[in-house]
Amino acid sequence: MPGTNTLQSNIQKEIVELSTAIGGLVNSFKRLQNPLEESRNKVPQATDQLDKINEQTEAAAHQMLDMIEQITAREEEILEQIDQTRACLESGDNDKILSCLRIIAEKAQTNLNDSFLIMDALQFQDITSQQMNHAASLLEDIEHKLHTIIGVFDSNDGDSEDEKESNARTAKAGKVRAFDPHADLFEKKTNQNDIDSLFDNNGK
Amino acid sequence: MSQTILVVDDSPTVVKFVSFSLKNRGFNVLTACDGMDAIEKMSNTEDDIDLVITDLNMPNLDGYGLIETIRQNEKYSSMPIIILSSEQAEEDREKGKKAGATSYLIKPFKSDKLLSEVKKFL
Repeated sequence: MPGTNTLQSNIQKEIVELSTAIGGLVNSFKRLQNPLEESRNKVPQATDQLDKINEQTEAAAHQMLDMIEQITAREEEILEQIDQTRACLESGDNDKILSCLRIIAEKAQTNLNDSFLIMDALQFQDITSQQMNHAASLLEDIEHKLHTIIGVFDSNDGDSEDEKESNARTAKAGKVRAFDPHADLFEKKTNQNDIDSLFDNNGK
Repeated sequence: MSQTILVVDDSPTVVKFVSFSLKNRGFNVLTACDGMDAIEKMSNTEDDIDLVITDLNMPNLDGYGLIETIRQNEKYSSMPIIILSSEQAEEDREKGKKAGATSYLIKPFKSDKLLSEVKKFL
């Protein structure tokens, strides 16, 4: 029957189209697998870096506050010694004056040393800024992967406006960002002495 | 006349901290924010530079590139160069040594350690 043949032919055509569509979907899901996998790994890395920044900033701030507290206490002791020196000047007790001056000099020197230690601790800014740049670059990677995923479902040819904008932003940020992904304020994987001996052995 | 040290780092905090420590000990300090800036400063300054302290990870031209460029200049072929970096991997140290660095300090560092390293060479 001619009607049956047409119906069969139409069903066959529909099945072929359906099969092609399913094949396309399978390919699309395969293309999604990598960006999803990479994004899934990068999110915890970025979170870890941000946690580390929080932890290390807090530790450095505490370290500096402790030192400032000690410096302030010493300043008060210095002022006390100055008062005693004034009193001794009136009484003419030279030995006591000399003792007070010695104490003042010692405390001033300790404060000077502590000021350098505060400056040492301020290096946390450089280390945490590298950690932030690392976290930012991981998030930019994730953004890029998400655009790739969107692109899979986007029927338009070429990059979407969003994707172009994201790529431009990533490229711009990548040019100015220079960081060590392993920068850490407290955890030194290598002993400085080992590095010194490596360079000493090399000759100067 | 005081000796001149060029400090190269893209972190203004590190530049300020290192400069302060060195100036406090009587050194004359020049600063640069990356390798390219350092080369420009070295070319334009009338002072003789006695030592360079450089970071590794920097935009435009990194520390390795800077050291290699400095070593190509006969005038500075034996000038001490200290790397300051948070990079701790063995390959970074080897790469730094190969590029021509004289010494390598891991960040964060104590200002005492930096000064003793500088005094080793000057």
